[in-house]
Amino acid sequence: MINHLDLLIVGAGPAGLSAAVAARSCGLDVGVVDEQGAMGGQIFRNLHLPFGRDVLDEHDKELGLQLFDAFHASGARFFSETTVWGADKNTVFCKHKGKSEKITATKILFTTGGMERPIPFKGWTLPGVMTAGAAEIILRSGGHISADKEPVVLAGNGPLLLSLAMHLIDEGIPIAAWLDTGRFSHKLGSIMHMGSALGDIPYLKRGMHMALRILKNKIPIIQGVNQIEALGENSLEKIRYQKNSKWHEVASHTLIRHENIIPRVQIASALGVELVWDSVQRYWYPKTDEYGRTNLNDVYMTGDGAFVNGGEASINKGYIAGIAIAQDMGVLSADEGALRCAESLAAMRKTCKARNYLRYVFAPNPDAYKVPDETIVCRCECVTAKEIRDAVREGFHTPDEVKRFTRAGMGPCQGRMCGNALAEIIAQEQGVSVEKVGMLRNRQPFAPVTLGEYCSLHAPKI
Amino acid sequence: MSDTVKIYVDEKMMEVPAGISVAAAILGHSHSHNHSNDQSRKAFHNNSMDASPRAPYCLMGVCFECMMEIDGEANVQSCLVTVQDGMQVKRQLNTEAFHYKNTEDDLPENRRTNND
Repeated sequence: MINHLDLLIVGAGPAGLSAAVAARSCGLDVGVVDEQGAMGGQIFRNLHLPFGRDVLDEHDKELGLQLFDAFHASGARFFSETTVWGADKNTVFCKHKGKSEKITATKILFTTGGMERPIPFKGWTLPGVMTAGAAEIILRSGGHISADKEPVVLAGNGPLLLSLAMHLIDEGIPIAAWLDTGRFSHKLGSIMHMGSALGDIPYLKRGMHMALRILKNKIPIIQGVNQIEALGENSLEKIRYQKNSKWHEVASHTLIRHENIIPRVQIASALGVELVWDSVQRYWYPKTDEYGRTNLNDVYMTGDGAFVNGGEASINKGYIAGIAIAQDMGVLSADEGALRCAESLAAMRKTCKARNYLRYVFAPNPDAYKVPDETIVCRCECVTAKEIRDAVREGFHTPDEVKRFTRAGMGPCQGRMCGNALAEIIAQEQGVSVEKVGMLRNRQPFAPVTLGEYCSLHAPKI
Repeated sequence: MSDTVKIYVDEKMMEVPAGISVAAAILGHSHSHNHSNDQSRKAFHNNSMDASPRAPYCLMGVCFECMMEIDGEANVQSCLVTVQDGMQVKRQLNTEAFHYKNTEDDLPENRRTNND
């Protein structure tokens, strides 16, 4: 595959692609790997396909196409469907179509992006229940969310629900109900940060435009929903929700839940990168400087995987990291580096300020983690909230201890889906903060590897 | 790139747009007017512990609910694989639960602890 690179980038989303462009402009030999079939990450997903372009709005489409063009012109190499499962100092282990490869690089930049915050609720394992990101991907794959444009139900609290609602309206798919799980007091608190958001008028305008379209389409928004249940035999048939301690029902075959974005920190955690807790958005993120430097030598992290500021900020964050890496390698002087970063750095700071407003508007409601006893928390191993609470009562006080006792977090997804809720439930049960309870520790391999894939690393080369 | 490819899901042919993932193809392109016949809502696999039906939740590589057999290889995350002409996809429908839970021998010392 490749022998040795100056810079290996893990993740071909906005941050990764932009970092590659920056590092290539300084003459570095750059390779980018991504587990998906094509570049773009989630925001620019399927931009290379006609229906991917159709769904995206003009602003994002232009940003993405510019970035793709710059990447293709840069001469950086791209390896798709390549999943990184291990890393050690300047070496990364990955798998591609059933075979493992080893790549060495002087510097490694992880731009692994974010994922939607998984919040367990009754019936969330039923076919027909999915995240907003999943619904968005179906649309961008030229597919239908529901048969015969049947109405769908949206639930949760986060910016992606807004943009998904736009796309559903465009597609002519009715929204039967929008169950808002956010907390009004958080929205009040966010007013404090509106001032800084006003520094980015176009950004706010886009948000206002979306809100107006929602109002115009008379979508029934139900505020103050505190419990959601998905019901059905083999797939979703109806949704129950609780508001003001009264239960209501709505029939639908599709429930789309979104509870904002959190960084994917599995690799950071496994490598021993220092993590910090954000008490507003309730997630852990790797401690980095503005340039993506971590506490580990030669390991950098940026984009939404380092802190969720969105795709537009990620383009600038990635660019800055790419320049900083060239500078750290001695290719650029500090002055030259500062000069080349200046524009992106200023743009990034501006976008991040506006995003900080959203961070408060869509702060997760901690009550959403008051998961009923019988609800499955760990989807892979089918561990319920009650089993977790029982384990805490028996004297297991950290996510790792509870994992060993209950198997929560031991399935194929390795705790990606249940890790956050597990820590929240353990903290509730003990009446302490989640920060104090800590997070589920991740270990290598970062992704399940078959013995065959592992052994292919050591097979004699013929 | 408005081409299509032919994939086979449990031996049934589906013509889907080229360039999309196997999971997105099945979820978005196999709806039926008849609900009991709707392939888009059918399980991709049954959970190995309780045999409950599962289908993609995140569709972007995190949840592992899209696991299927693709071209003879089991437990592949079908949301990370791009459709290819002639691809053979199989749902992993094993309806037998792995009975270690909710039984009287479900005591801590009887639990499996060798896997971490």
